[in-house]
Amino acid sequence: MRAKKAALLAVIAAVLGLVFSAYSTYDYAQQLDRQVHAVHCSFIPGAPVSSDADNPCKAALFSPFSAVLRATYWGGVPISLFGLGAFAFFVGYAVYLWVGDRRLSRAAYPTFVVLSLGPVLVSVVMFTISVTHLHALCKLCVGVYTASLIMATAAVVGMRLHSRETKGDSPDGAARGWPLPAFALVSLAALGASSLAPALAYVGLLPDYRPLLETCGKLATSSDPHHGLLKIRTMHPVRAVTLFEDPLCPTCKAFHERLVDENVFEKLDVTMAMFPLDSECNWMLDRALHPGACVLAKAVICGGNDRARSILEWAYDEQDTLRELGKQGTSSLTAKISQRWGHDIAACVGSKQVDTQLNQQLHFAANNHIPVSTPQMFLGNERLCDEDTDLGLKYTLAQLAPEVLHD
Amino acid sequence: MTSGGTSDNRRRTASAQDLVDPPGGPRDGGGASRTNRAGAAIIGGAVALALLLAGTGAVASMVHGAKERLAHPAAVAAQQAVAVADDAEAPYCTPAFKQVLQRVLNACGLVGAEQRRGCQPADVKTFASITDDDFNALFTPLKERGAVLMFDDASDVLDTGAKKLLDERWLDRKGARYFFVVARASRDGTTERNRALSHKRANSVLFHLKESFQDPDLDNQVGLLWLGSEFAQLSNAYCDWPTSREGKRCTPETINRSAFASWVDCRL
Repeated sequence: MRAKKAALLAVIAAVLGLVFSAYSTYDYAQQLDRQVHAVHCSFIPGAPVSSDADNPCKAALFSPFSAVLRATYWGGVPISLFGLGAFAFFVGYAVYLWVGDRRLSRAAYPTFVVLSLGPVLVSVVMFTISVTHLHALCKLCVGVYTASLIMATAAVVGMRLHSRETKGDSPDGAARGWPLPAFALVSLAALGASSLAPALAYVGLLPDYRPLLETCGKLATSSDPHHGLLKIRTMHPVRAVTLFEDPLCPTCKAFHERLVDENVFEKLDVTMAMFPLDSECNWMLDRALHPGACVLAKAVICGGNDRARSILEWAYDEQDTLRELGKQGTSSLTAKISQRWGHDIAACVGSKQVDTQLNQQLHFAANNHIPVSTPQMFLGNERLCDEDTDLGLKYTLAQLAPEVLHD
Repeated sequence: MTSGGTSDNRRRTASAQDLVDPPGGPRDGGGASRTNRAGAAIIGGAVALALLLAGTGAVASMVHGAKERLAHPAAVAAQQAVAVADDAEAPYCTPAFKQVLQRVLNACGLVGAEQRRGCQPADVKTFASITDDDFNALFTPLKERGAVLMFDDASDVLDTGAKKLLDERWLDRKGARYFFVVARASRDGTTERNRALSHKRANSVLFHLKESFQDPDLDNQVGLLWLGSEFAQLSNAYCDWPTSREGKRCTPETINRSAFASWVDCRL
């Protein structure tokens, strides 16, 4: 194999990285209109968007790790933008290696090796996050990881082959271009500029989201005459919020995890109302979106102010299993609750008192005419728009409740 | 000069491949190598720059498109209308039913600033401009939701069975906003006496609910109506309803010594 072939492989890998980064950027930029969009999730460039609501690419996109500067810009600056710029540079660099072949500067391949370790390093970090935090691998992301790895491997192989091929070509190193440090420095500067260019264009054109943050309604009444709502204890509550949650709602789970991961939850003074999207107890639905959610909501209420959070987080952690049990019926779910939380909680789930308390929480939602969806968060009386509970969460909190972002 | 100029022109018009791979071969000295390296760098740089410009332009276009959709969201938003949480609205909530309900609620003080508790029959006569039979018929759809609490002759005391049934019905609120109690008295005795007895029976129900559940919102939920003997009497058909004296003899007289209680699943 010749170095030229390795360079060609690097070109192909860099082009693939560019394409995957471009798709990822496109999916992210689509969300800037604050509407719901499907995302791409395929190893095949050009494949149609995925209609699966819970695909891993969507999970990755809405995770706190997909963008930087989230508190400064609505949605933050997606890291795929940096990938887009970087891979554009790497395509050019690999073309340079391919075309230059044996006449290249001696510094060309070593510099390429060093620079190509950047995407590999980022890929390793993001892969680790995907596995340990998101528990899913997004295909577009895997595409970028693979492209980075192939490119770096091609760089190393190319360097060795090129070194062998040019052995004895020119005994005078000075005659083979710039010295390595200068060459590497210029290349690094070019890579940096290239990586930043799309991001700078992106943030320069972003709309002003500030006026949109307080346009999604208010709590008409926060009065709770029956004291039926739950008060969740947190470490340093500095801002009152009211949450409407469904234990079997995947978006609620993701939202809760986002609040915890962002270290925000512990700074909230949480009043919580269960709002299960299950027609067994919720008259606002004509069919159960999440069968079994009423039973689990009752279990959370049975936990009282002290244990409600633990039971809710358990329900989120075990959501897939509990969703299946919920389809089988109340008894399976109650048995699972009994197994984990003991007979007292299981018995409480079947009691009239908890029926009444859940009903009071649902009437609290009805009295406030909130949208029939979960999760919902009210900062004081101000409702956070749905899009501001995921991509725009940190920006919105920075604008409306900066105290919860401070250490 | 001429020769050198021609050579320069040729170099300027040479192809990229010529620049990096001239006819002289790769080992033709330092000057040519520098030119070749520069040519490769120019090609690589041009490719990178072109891709970068295209990518940045595409990003700008994406953000601009999102900005446009954000500014003109009408078409998209219309497709994504979300239901709003509200009280239940059962199929029996016909316009006629709601008309009566609204008038009774107004007259009975559950809606508006009035602090009255309950309605006198005359109020209902005035406000509910429908016939007695039609008025009774309106309650027919509540058969599954409501219950008939039976009283002894000339008594306003709720027995154990009546209390139990009332508690069950009260706890089975679901999405209802209002709880209706319609007390009655049979034709035995004078109109005034029956009206007073009907009133007492309605109050017995209210007092039991207050005492049992101590619900701070109860005054905003319970509507009382007491109908004396001058109103249409319930027929035997109501004996088929859930009553507090299941299995006991039910006659037109006994069924009218009663209080009908039900949550009403209608929005106003």
